[in-house]
Amino acid sequence: MGGGFRVLHLVRPFLSFLPEVQSADRKVPFREKVIYTVISLFIFLVCSQLPLYGIHSTTGADPFYWMRVILASNRGTVMELGITPIVTSGLVMQLLAGSKIIEVDNSVREDRALLNGAQKLLGILIAVGEAVAYVLSGMYGSVGQLGVGNAILIIIQLCFAGIIVICLDELLQKGYGLGSGISLFIATNICENIIWKAFSPTTINSGRGAEFEGAVIAMFHLLITRSDKVRALREAFYRQNLPNVTNLLATVLIFLIVIYFQGFRVVLPVRSKNARGQQGSYPIKLFYTSNMPIILQSALVSNLYFISQLLYRKYSGNFFVNLLGKWKESEYSGGQFIPVGGLAYYVTAPASLADMAANPFHALFYLVFMLSACALFSKTWIEVSGSSARDVAKQLKEQQMVMPGHRDSNLQKELNRYIPTAAAFGGMCIGALTVLADFMGAIGSGTGILLAVTIIYQYFETFEKERASELGFFGF
Amino acid sequence: MARGSSQSQSSTSSSTSRPGVMAPRGSAAATAGMRRRRLVGGSGSASATSSAASGSGSNMLRFYTDDAPGLKISPTIVLVMSLCFIGFVTALHVFGKLYRSKTGAGP
Repeated sequence: MGGGFRVLHLVRPFLSFLPEVQSADRKVPFREKVIYTVISLFIFLVCSQLPLYGIHSTTGADPFYWMRVILASNRGTVMELGITPIVTSGLVMQLLAGSKIIEVDNSVREDRALLNGAQKLLGILIAVGEAVAYVLSGMYGSVGQLGVGNAILIIIQLCFAGIIVICLDELLQKGYGLGSGISLFIATNICENIIWKAFSPTTINSGRGAEFEGAVIAMFHLLITRSDKVRALREAFYRQNLPNVTNLLATVLIFLIVIYFQGFRVVLPVRSKNARGQQGSYPIKLFYTSNMPIILQSALVSNLYFISQLLYRKYSGNFFVNLLGKWKESEYSGGQFIPVGGLAYYVTAPASLADMAANPFHALFYLVFMLSACALFSKTWIEVSGSSARDVAKQLKEQQMVMPGHRDSNLQKELNRYIPTAAAFGGMCIGALTVLADFMGAIGSGTGILLAVTIIYQYFETFEKERASELGFFGF
Repeated sequence: MARGSSQSQSSTSSSTSRPGVMAPRGSAAATAGMRRRRLVGGSGSASATSSAASGSGSNMLRFYTDDAPGLKISPTIVLVMSLCFIGFVTALHVFGKLYRSKTGAGP
């Protein structure tokens, strides 16, 4: 494809305008890295609480409700877009490069620079586009109500927030911080959510007097104020409309299970061809693709929801539209639409165990859908992201590593025995855990928790590695 | 030597354990790996590995430290810029409130 090259070269004139964080020219000490990471996190947290200036209202149904968790965005705040721009541009570029639509030679310096630039440019463009779309679609009140000046101000704020997120992510990745900005922000958002649901001191009046929103606080409150302690405890554990203690316990349990499974791996011994005695091991984890299957799966489902909701609002009588999904306003979370029929209903988790018993077909369909989707996405992802057996074999060969007892040409075949299986089975396990979390009613949805746990686990690994290398330096 | 092997191993696992959560990781992780490997080449096993690794390693390093085109900003500026942005939005809120209370049109 000769045309592909030209696509990448289109970016060149913009390259000099794109902000680019200087890379570290020295080794940044561990302590400094932690400081950079904490400051970035602080900026993100402030941004996700700071309301946008000039908006009129944020009431009404929120079509992106389902995506908020994985996109670390908060409604009506500066972080309205969250990491959507980077994630979307990253996914698009990865898919384009992976499927060879854009041809990138990773060994050519200019190509890599251009690809990075293209990704950043696309991210900024997506931020601008989304900001304009949000304002024009009247998410903050119609443009006439806002006034043109305010509308432009909102767009500027959203764009700038997008650029800041891109810069922070780059800052963390270029060696000044730990891990990547994206995963840091996602994990923080989810953890914040869980902590809030557990300890929130806000009271909500639900007809039986004021109740605390936070599960733990509500339990103590009920235990102290009610005279019948057993009933108080039962209510704290099983109340339906607000987070209860069972949800909290389920969350903790899922955390533990995922961490336990993270340790499952097959270790292949490898040996350096040149430096004699350089032994190593190449671990193939059970969660080979980590949290990627659920990110893709939830992206798919949220898009389905979005389209189905839009269609249902416009043409609710149509047979095919109803087949795709029927929606009803939920009585609890004000103004939120929940699916009650059609395909959208069947790919949504049943709300509770009782709901599952009442409609076993729904539960079964959901289970099968989740498992097969996750396995499928996992298998596709290794091909797209360049971590399939062929790529790993190439990588090992470039590093002059061989497997003892196998010839060079056999390396790929040997890896092929493990990697696709690990990917598919790992994806299925991730799917199963998500389903389990959803059934037990864990706080912040199964997807969210799995994302958070896998990210936190990765952070632990990075931490350990950093510490080890630091010690190694001192030891030398 | 034990350290050397663990280092190069960590470079492989770091680029595969998170298969490009979102795209740029691939290159970033690879660079980090290269940089680490170069360190190993410099300190530990000298002659043999350096021939293959240092070639691409130095190339990689030049890619970032050299004249990578773009508006160069240092990490401190990024942080200051974001803080300024936060301040700007807060100021907008404050001025908006003041302006509205003056004209009396506010809710």
